[in-house]
Amino acid sequence: MSENMYIARSSHKDALERGEYGGAVTSILQCALETGKIDGVVTVKAKNDNRYTGVPVLITTPEQLLETAGSLHCSTPNISRFVKEYLDGASTMKLAVVGKPCDIRAIIELQKRERIDVDNVILIGLNCTGTMSPTTAKRMFTEEFEVDPDSIVKEDIDEGMLTIVLKDGTKKSRDLTELEERGYGRRENCRRCDINIPRMADLACGKWGAEDEEKKSTFIEICSEKGKNLIDETIKKGFIEVKEPREESLQRRKKKDEAEVERAEKWKTRDFKIFQELNQSERLNYWISEFNKCIKCYGCRDACPICHCKECILEAKRGFVDKGEVPPDIMFPLTRLSHVADSCVNCGQCQDVCPMELPLSLLCSFLNRELTEIFQYTPGIDIEERPPLTTTTEGELQIQDTFLDISSLTEK
Amino acid sequence: MIEYEPTICPYCSCGCGMYLVIKDGEIIGQEPLKEHPVNEGGNCPKGKNAYQFLYAEDRLKTPLVRKNGSFKEATWEEALNLVAAKLKKAQPNEFGLLASGKNTNEGAYVLQKFARVVMGTNNVEYCGRLCHSPTAAGLGPTVGSGVMPISQLDIENADCIFLVGINCKETFPMITKRILRAKKKGAKVIVVDPRNTVTAKNVGDIHLQLQPGTDVAVLNSMMLIILEEGLEDDEFLQSRTTGIEELKNYLSSLDLKEMERICGVELEEIKKAAIMFAEAETGCTLFNQGLNQHSTGSDNVKALATLALLTGQYGRPGTGPSPTRGQINGEGTGDMGCLNVFYPGFKRVSEEVAKEFGGLWGVDNLPSEPGYPYTVMLQKAEYLYIVGTNPMMAAPDVNSVEKLLKDKELLVVQDIYPTEVANMADVVLPAATWVEREGTHTYVDRRVQKITKLVESPGKARPDWWIVNELAEKMGYKEYFGYTCAKDIFEEIRRCIPQYKGITYKRLEETVGGIQWPCPAENHPGTPTFFTEKFNTPDGLGHLQVVDYKPPAELPDEEYSYVLTTGRSIFHYHTGTMTRRTPKLNDEVSSGFCQMNPKDAAAEKIRNGNMIILKTRRGSIEAEARVTDEVPEGLVFVPFHFTESCANKLTNPVLDPACGMPEFKVCAVNVEVKK
Repeated sequence: MSENMYIARSSHKDALERGEYGGAVTSILQCALETGKIDGVVTVKAKNDNRYTGVPVLITTPEQLLETAGSLHCSTPNISRFVKEYLDGASTMKLAVVGKPCDIRAIIELQKRERIDVDNVILIGLNCTGTMSPTTAKRMFTEEFEVDPDSIVKEDIDEGMLTIVLKDGTKKSRDLTELEERGYGRRENCRRCDINIPRMADLACGKWGAEDEEKKSTFIEICSEKGKNLIDETIKKGFIEVKEPREESLQRRKKKDEAEVERAEKWKTRDFKIFQELNQSERLNYWISEFNKCIKCYGCRDACPICHCKECILEAKRGFVDKGEVPPDIMFPLTRLSHVADSCVNCGQCQDVCPMELPLSLLCSFLNRELTEIFQYTPGIDIEERPPLTTTTEGELQIQDTFLDISSLTEK
Repeated sequence: MIEYEPTICPYCSCGCGMYLVIKDGEIIGQEPLKEHPVNEGGNCPKGKNAYQFLYAEDRLKTPLVRKNGSFKEATWEEALNLVAAKLKKAQPNEFGLLASGKNTNEGAYVLQKFARVVMGTNNVEYCGRLCHSPTAAGLGPTVGSGVMPISQLDIENADCIFLVGINCKETFPMITKRILRAKKKGAKVIVVDPRNTVTAKNVGDIHLQLQPGTDVAVLNSMMLIILEEGLEDDEFLQSRTTGIEELKNYLSSLDLKEMERICGVELEEIKKAAIMFAEAETGCTLFNQGLNQHSTGSDNVKALATLALLTGQYGRPGTGPSPTRGQINGEGTGDMGCLNVFYPGFKRVSEEVAKEFGGLWGVDNLPSEPGYPYTVMLQKAEYLYIVGTNPMMAAPDVNSVEKLLKDKELLVVQDIYPTEVANMADVVLPAATWVEREGTHTYVDRRVQKITKLVESPGKARPDWWIVNELAEKMGYKEYFGYTCAKDIFEEIRRCIPQYKGITYKRLEETVGGIQWPCPAENHPGTPTFFTEKFNTPDGLGHLQVVDYKPPAELPDEEYSYVLTTGRSIFHYHTGTMTRRTPKLNDEVSSGFCQMNPKDAAAEKIRNGNMIILKTRRGSIEAEARVTDEVPEGLVFVPFHFTESCANKLTNPVLDPACGMPEFKVCAVNVEVKK
């Protein structure tokens, strides 16, 4: 059953040393670069070795890859935007893109919209149980862990615990839910996220299922033909050593995933409750008061991987929404919402960058959950599956609106 | 190679971080910098369009010298030799230098040193005169320092926020974020503004919509009510202040009904606000031009600070009246001494201080008499050197300014674009700006942050410090200047300004969010909160001030029957030099306008969108009418960003005698439809 699953570790000394879990991902990418299978790797690097400022980078030599090994839980770079905006959507080069499940899903949505090339991109997904905003994380490390944030060399989120490792080797752990109850911990969208293993990528890599290995290793699940070719080639060229996972490893991986999904469900129930308790007009009022905070910076639009139009209808010069007004007309946020809600991948980038801290990710993921039920469509999973907005039937349009009283809006 | 490089926004003084995306030496985009403690990844509309202003076509790229009435391109050698030759003829008091809140600290420092060492005069000013001079004049005698006494990050912990003459949702969006956070935790917000601004509408819980220029009447009423209700902070008054008896005596002589009549705000509302503020655990006060830009600006500030002292809302995180600087280096250019009465570090001009700096700089006979304030300098200095500021848009009564500038012996303008004043100059010097040079700025809460040079400046444009350094050399003062890089200058700043002593380039490069001065040593973390133990006055006490209400200098009459007030829009920055060259911002608001109440518009037969003529005793302009209830009856509002509807052709140049602040916020105006 497990011919598409491996326990892997690098055969190269440097990658073994630098990688957190045996350096397998680094070596897979090094092999792809060295063999010319790809022209570059898009991944995240701690700028000036600062763990709180991970930025997307394009790596073109195997040596540089070592500098990007290890995960940064306190940086939330927008990887899909980097590929779309600054690498021409991979139209001119073959890329391997490394990302968390939401990054991978964002890229798949952009591929559906023809803003990122499909054939030129290999997606290397990394398991994820959540990330933290750098400023919240630093505050938490200072106030709750009572350590200098700059003394941390590693963070880990596992089985409901947040663990940090300091330069001197000291480890400190705290219960994540307790931290989150007090406003620390992971970003809100991450708390609600139930996609921990990025099976929509070509390869899904992580430590779950490899914890018990004698030597540090990575668990790799092959999720596509592209992924299989890449792994086969890497093994053949001797970049990694692999073995089959044991049954108990598979079980452990499955259990951990289920526990995280359960944790996410609890957060969803809790976060969405306030809307379910409000009636429709109360809900509308709530959102209008939130939208009134908007200062029309376009930050949410620019950060959103679903917003893909080259000429956005909301631009001032298009005249669709009255220009020069703050807060902008309600059609500004509503238009954005209607354009993206069906395809939201819950990456949280919109809420991260909102200067007025509107709960945009909450709104979008709430709506998306309702829509997912109706249309049986989960965004960012299958490139062949088209967004409901483009495939809605006449009949579906008659479904009672799940969020807004549309008639009251169209009257305006 | 594509690199994300961190920098700080070039606009207001919140000091927000961002990444610039650089490819082959050119900025191709910008991305959120989520680690920055001020903005945490968010930026306002201007901040989101931060770099486009660098690349407009008409950027100044070479020195220009006027010959036979028109500009000719020149080399630096030619242009600076010409300026030097002319300046050598100037007597100290004939020279004046206007610096900018957009200079770096290093640039500003060299500019004031040039005026003092080379030209021998304290005639050095900057646009801070036109925005926060009443702050210094009002807070000086009251608490001993005119800077923001808190960290902007602590505003979110206040439970009452008092916004006086500050439309912060448009002018300080990132401070507004803190206010919204406080509100989420239950804080109440009081807004004092004659206009029903977006801040009043979307952020305020109580709006005291006063008649323009009647702030003292409102503040005195609040203080009297607080005393009547017994809500003053006796312990604080006793241990930290002086003058309560005089204040009580004065206030008890006031008639609240009379005050209500003057300010036009119902007494009940004032009372609600007074009690709310006095009862707050942490009462935060923020103020800006609405309080300052009056002929009584310093009185207004004194009354506001006295209210905070009376209620003990001072000297703790999140309290204290905080002035809000409008420009990237609004604080720093003042810190560096670009003020007629201050040497660097706010050392007041005197024989003693002149000697002290003479010692530091190795020169004799530094000027020890105060120089001219901004607008007086425009009148009296025959040799004017203007750097990064634009009195043809920013000074009051622009028509008079134009006449004055036409007749100067020498007008040198150093800027990045051919501004209205640059077009009148004898010599134009092209400056490098923002990430085209290295340097530091000091943001609203004394937060010093460093900018790294990320791209080359266009053509021959050079950093301000370089230009002045060269000029000083040509004037024969090389030994006192001779800087080779911005860091040289910063090291001198550290030696001369004790508040900056512990701040180094290295520390700034390693500290996201910068360091707040005073920072006396290299191992000192900086100072978020001022006045925790004592005030900066000689006796360490807060001095309660008795302030009598005085009406604005020019009020409506039969001929000019409306009140004109001026201000800003979120999409534009001051005189428009940068934002009007930024396509997405200019698309939002692309021309000047005049807000008018629907009833007034009906009475004058003005419809929304009509071109109207606004006329005062000083001049007239045309602007598009915007009929809106954002302004009450009797008041019209014109933003000052637009050259074609230049608000300051209308404004009254009458000055606050205590600080030289013109009365931008109130004058009498006449309005009619353009036929």
